[in-house]
Formats: sequence, structure tokens, C-alpha cells
Amino acid sequence: MPGGGGGRYGICETVVSTAIPYARRVRVLMLGWEFPPYFAGGVGVVAHALTRALVARGVEVTYLMPHAPDQAPDASVEVLGVSPGRVRVLGVPSQLYSYATESGIPIQPSRAGFRGARPLYGPDLLNELKDFEDSCLKLVEDRKLEFDVVHAHDWTTFPAGIALSRRRNSPLAVHVHITEFDKTGGSHATPEVFQIERDGMQAAHRLIAVSRRVARDCEDRYGADPRRIRVIYNGIETDPSLQPPRKRSGPTVLFLGRVTRQKGPEFFVRAARRVLDVQPDVTFILAGTGDQLPHMVELSAELGLGPRMLFPGFVDRAQAAELYSQADVFVMPSVSEPFGIVPLEAMDRGVPVIVSRQSGVSELLTNALKIESWDVEDLSAKILAFLRYPVLHDAMRVEGRREVSTLHWDAVAEKIEALYREMIDA
Amino acid sequence: MPDVCMYFQVHQPDRLRRYSVFDIGNRRDYFDDSLNKEVLLKVSDKCYRPMNALLLEAIRQQEGRFRVAFSITCCVLDQMERWAPDVLDSFRALAATGCVEFLGETSKHSLSFLVDRNEFDYQVQTHRDRMQSLFGQTPRIFRNTELIYRNDLAAHLSGRGFQAIIAEGVDRILQWRSPNFVYCAESSRDIKLLLKNYRLSDDIAFRFGDRGWSEYPLRVETYADWLGRCGPEANSINLFMDYETFGEHQWADTGIFDFMRQLPTAVLERGMRFRTPSEVAREFDAAAPVDMPDYVSWADTERDLTAWYGNSMQRSAMTSLYSLREAVLSSPDALDDWRRLTTSDHFYYMCTKYFADGDVHKYFSPYESPYEAYITFMNVMADLAQRSGYSAWVPAA
Repeated sequence: MPGGGGGRYGICETVVSTAIPYARRVRVLMLGWEFPPYFAGGVGVVAHALTRALVARGVEVTYLMPHAPDQAPDASVEVLGVSPGRVRVLGVPSQLYSYATESGIPIQPSRAGFRGARPLYGPDLLNELKDFEDSCLKLVEDRKLEFDVVHAHDWTTFPAGIALSRRRNSPLAVHVHITEFDKTGGSHATPEVFQIERDGMQAAHRLIAVSRRVARDCEDRYGADPRRIRVIYNGIETDPSLQPPRKRSGPTVLFLGRVTRQKGPEFFVRAARRVLDVQPDVTFILAGTGDQLPHMVELSAELGLGPRMLFPGFVDRAQAAELYSQADVFVMPSVSEPFGIVPLEAMDRGVPVIVSRQSGVSELLTNALKIESWDVEDLSAKILAFLRYPVLHDAMRVEGRREVSTLHWDAVAEKIEALYREMIDA
Repeated sequence: MPDVCMYFQVHQPDRLRRYSVFDIGNRRDYFDDSLNKEVLLKVSDKCYRPMNALLLEAIRQQEGRFRVAFSITCCVLDQMERWAPDVLDSFRALAATGCVEFLGETSKHSLSFLVDRNEFDYQVQTHRDRMQSLFGQTPRIFRNTELIYRNDLAAHLSGRGFQAIIAEGVDRILQWRSPNFVYCAESSRDIKLLLKNYRLSDDIAFRFGDRGWSEYPLRVETYADWLGRCGPEANSINLFMDYETFGEHQWADTGIFDFMRQLPTAVLERGMRFRTPSEVAREFDAAAPVDMPDYVSWADTERDLTAWYGNSMQRSAMTSLYSLREAVLSSPDALDDWRRLTTSDHFYYMCTKYFADGDVHKYFSPYESPYEAYITFMNVMADLAQRSGYSAWVPAA
């Protein structure tokens, strides 16, 4: 059964190229809450990479966001004028796009309120959303912006997206990267947020879900019409140069992510105990910060892991690269993960990965070992398999890197552009 | 008019259960009996029972003019003895007609010829004995696992009672030559070669139910006409395929059973005869020797060894397995388990070649990925090494 079962949602796995006439460019008005270097999480990275890939394909993107930075994050993005209120326009003219001048995405520490700026989600967030909506409407009129499609990234921009779509009679796509249920651990969605998410999903002409599990949530929990849902997985910007693994003292297993319940760090710590019982020379690194970190330190002490479990805390881009170069195995035991881009980075750096089936990325990956998030026994056994059988490690290192190299953003942008055209023609 | 020679491969592997690192030294029930039983019962219902009945009926109706051959592995025979003895009886009933030939192969559908000729000889002899005791026939035609063939297979089997070997009619070897003639081995001209006509075989085995195929739906008259057009001077059109084609790969609703029910009459009406492989080998002289210095097989489009012996995991698993042979030979209890692990399917599951495409390899595999297949296999190896007292065993690179 080639192509894999997409189930009931339209899965944009392959887009048949039908020689779309480029005489008519698609103009999209994109709404986001974050954009590098100003962001708090993965959505900003995704939006940036996607925007650049769309622009490279010839799509005209106007990006609206609050709290825009004074400077463009890199040469491919230009900050155009300053508008009334807090809304600024990030114009992304295609003629300025150039791979040659790319210097990578400047990633900033993912802490709310970095550089002394105001927190992304303030206490009067709901008022801010309304402000954003009004400012967007005004800005679009003042500047006489023309667009064919409105594309809103979750969830804070949904009200503005609905308003713009109605005002201009343009179709609306909402891009669901994560839902309130994922963020709050399953069932305790904040009612106000849930309401906004639901309104957006129900008003949207098309709903882009980053995985089938997100698509299921949109349908089951928010009542989104499954016929309007498309699953389009994220891409990754790969590093063309693979560094050989650094020589080091012993085998190393890596966890890298926010240390919150959602990411399942406890299973990582418990698996470490199980592995060390069999093979005592393994080092475990739990990198990242979060509200569960103190518990993990305690648990690790309780289990007697001692110096075999390291907690480097928050790591920046360079430090992460260093950790990848030391790691034999990367583990993402998330309890609930709408997508999960970090394993792709690990694979790109030549580190084989074990991911939970509770992650969206596990739907996409073939060259990864998969576990149930809670299954410490299975996780431990798989970690040990990597350490016992070097051939397995080498095979997954090579195949994993090859697989990741196919998950580039241009392929994602191609699917999204096709979706825009489908919306325009509908 | 050419003869029509049909041979069907009957095989089911003994699939492994989930076996983790923590099971090493703690449990010896490596095989997933419930899954193996479930698959055997399903295939028996969908294929073996209805198809055996159909063939028996056709042989009776044609009064001996319809003839076929089987190659059956000891793996599937053991499973039938345990879980579906009536199916075994129906194969014996076919044998009793005198119109059904049983071919020789390795008992465990193994790749032993590639790595260990002693084990290969043992398995060939075991299988030969089993054919004699179950079906009253001593195989005269040899079929190596997955039609893996190279010149030295013929050299190895020469003088051991085999008239001919079955092999794939690979284009890159045959070039302008037709597979519909009897050939002989380059190195051992006493051994004839019967080469599979893969186009006409695959019309049934792969394309029959494909609605996108230009010939769909294939009518039996059309197919018999194609056979008849293979040239008046041709010897034999060799149609070789998995027996599970009927009812399992091609479901009953494709009309495959009706097609097979009508095929004997359609072929005979056009003046062609059905012949078993040993009849073909006996009746025709070899047209020419065929030189196959490199391994060929009937798998995938490459028709080489890469489905079982292409990547580093497969090579590591194979080397690890055969490095244990000496140790298990002196440990009879471990030996039977070890032999069941020589079955080629275990290596097929580790294939990464088309893994990403979600293709046929994935369809046949009980594992989520080739990596899981390798891990499970190697864990079992480690336990076998422990059991047989081979403490120095290490996984091969």
C-alpha cells in the first residue's frame, strides 16, 4: 500500500505537480504571534521557515504580528513600515531572498520576556487579541493591502484571521501547531482559549494540522469538519555538513526539550535506572529547563543515578550541537506532542532517535524506533539495543539522515501553496 | 507448441515474538506461535484448502493431462502438522494422483548456500527425506530459496541426484535468449536449468487483480493465447510463483480461482501440454549453457540478493547466526531453534531498501521497522549463544 494510510483526513503527502501557471501569483496575508528573533517556541521557527520557502516559490507573503522586532532576523526578511498601534508589517519581498546570504535562523533563548521585552502572553491577553484584530483591520485598509488568502497560525491570531477573512471575503486557513489540550496535559483546557481555538477552526475554510493526532483533536474536541482538514507535516532545515561523532569516554543518551510533564522526562530518568542496572558505563543527559526539573533532579537522586545523569539546564544552539555530537541515542518520550521537531534535528546530526508514538513526528518518521511514552521497559530495551549492536546504530544514523534530508521546507511550501490555490478556486 | 510447466512455492516462516534485551537468559519461547497459527489458518482458508481442491478437481477432470509441481518447506509442513493436518492431507491427496511433482529445497527455506555448505547439505537432505516420507517422492529437481542461483550451485549439486535446477529468467543474463528453452549450467552441464518466464508468471502473480493494468480483467482465453504465441519451437513456458498468489495475494474477488479453474481446458484446447519440471528436464536437451557467475534471485526488480543480504544489519545477523552453528550442534535442544532462525524471512524483514515507500517488504513484515527485526533477531541470537555455552559470542559487525 504505497503512500501510507492517511485515514480520513486529506493528507498532503505528495502533490502532483500540474504545471501551475505562475502568471497568477498567490498573495497571502499571514498572521502570527511570533517571528524570529522574537518568539517563545517552535511556532515562530516554523512560521519563519515556511514563509521563506513560500517566498522562494514565488508566493507573496505579508506577515502581520504584534511586537515586531526593529530589525529583520536575516537578509531574506525586510521589516517594512511601522503602522499605527502595535502592529507592524513584515514584508518578505522575494527579490531579496537569497540562499547565498543565508546565515541560518538566529535562535534566541526560548524564555518569555527575553531581552527584557514584555511577556508574549500578558495578563490582558484577550484584550490584546482584540487590539491585534482591530489594528490588523485598520492596517489592511490604511495600506490598501491586497491578498487572496488569510493564513493564521494558532491560536492567538484566529480572531483577527476571521475578521480579515470576512472583511475582504477571502478564504481563511488556520494552521494548528498545538492545541490547548496538548499544552495543558489533556483535559484542562482554559475555556476562553478553547473558545477562540474552536471559533477559528470552525470558521476556517481549510485547517492545516501538523500531524494526524492534531487533526483528530481538531475534529473530536473542536468539532472541525474533517473534510476541511489537511495534514501537512513540518519540514526541517538540514545542515549539509555532518560532523563525525566526537571521541568521548562512554556511551551517551540524550533528552533535549522542555522539562515539563508533556515531554515525559520522568520516563527518561526511570529508563536510565533500568539501563544502568544492565550496563553501568552509560551517561544520560537531560537537557532543558521547565517546571519538572526539580522533580527530575530529586527522582534521579532517589534512584541513585549519581554522576551518570547530567542536568545541563537550558542549552543554546551551539551547546545543543555539542550535545548531539556526543550522543549515541536521542530520546523523546513525550506524553503528548503535536509534532516534535527536535528528533529531526538529532537525526540530521546523525543521532539515531527513539520517539513516542504519542508524537506527531512519529507518524512521519520511518527510520526511528518507536515506543509508548509510558513504556519504560521498552524504552530501556531499545536504548540498550543501540548500545549493544553498533551495526544498528550505524544503519539508523545513515538512513535517518537520508530520511531527514527529504523533509525540506520547500516540499512543505509546495503543499501549502497548492492548498492556497485550492481555496482560491473553491 | 510449447509445454506449460507450473510450479508453486508453499512456505510460511516461524515468526519471532517480541523478544527484548531483558528476555535474554530468561525465556526460550522465541517464536510467536499464536501469530504463526493465525496466519497459517488464514492462508489455509483463503488459499491452501480451496486451491488444493481446485487442482485436485482439475487433475481428475483432465484425466491426468493437467500436471503441476510444488516446492513445500518443512517450516510450513511443521505448521500444518500442528495446526491444520487436513491441509497436509490434501497435499498428500494431490501427490497420490501421480500428476503432482514435489521439488527439492532447503528444509528451512534458508540462505545456507550463501554461507555454510555443510548446513546447506544437511537441510537439503532433511527436506528430501521429508518429501519421501510424506509424499513418496524423491525430488529430482532443485529449487533454492527465493530462486537464488549461481554457477557453483549447479556444481555443488552435480552428482547428487538432481537433474535440473529452477532459476529466474533474468533479462540481464539471458539478453536475447528466451526463457522458454531448457538450458544447462555453465560449470556443470549435467545439470539442466529451467528458467522462469517472469512476464507470464507475473501476469498472474502480480498483475492479475490490478485494476490499473491495461489487460485488466485478464480473460483466460487471452492468457492462453499469449502462451500459445510463445513460438512453436519453444520447449516449455515456466510459470513459477508463490502458491499464496491464489486467494491471498490475489483475493478471491479478483476472479483468480475461476481463472485457474478454466486455465487447464484453455491450454489443452490450444494443443499445449502440461508438464512437470522433471518431465521437461527429461524430454528436452539443453539448448545451450547459461553462465551465471553472480547470484540471481526472483526478488524485487533487482533480482539479486539485496532483499536478504544487502545492508549491514542483514550481514551482521547472518554472520552472527552462522558463527553459532558449531556451538548449537552440540546442544540439540538449541539446535532446532537455531535452524528455524535460518529461514530467509528473518533477513527479509531487515531490508531497508524500499522501507520508506511502505511497499511489499513492509506488507509481509510483522515488525514496525527493519530495525526492530534486527534487534529481536540479535537478542534471540544472544540467548541462543548463552544456552549453547558459547560465552565468547559477540554480535558480528
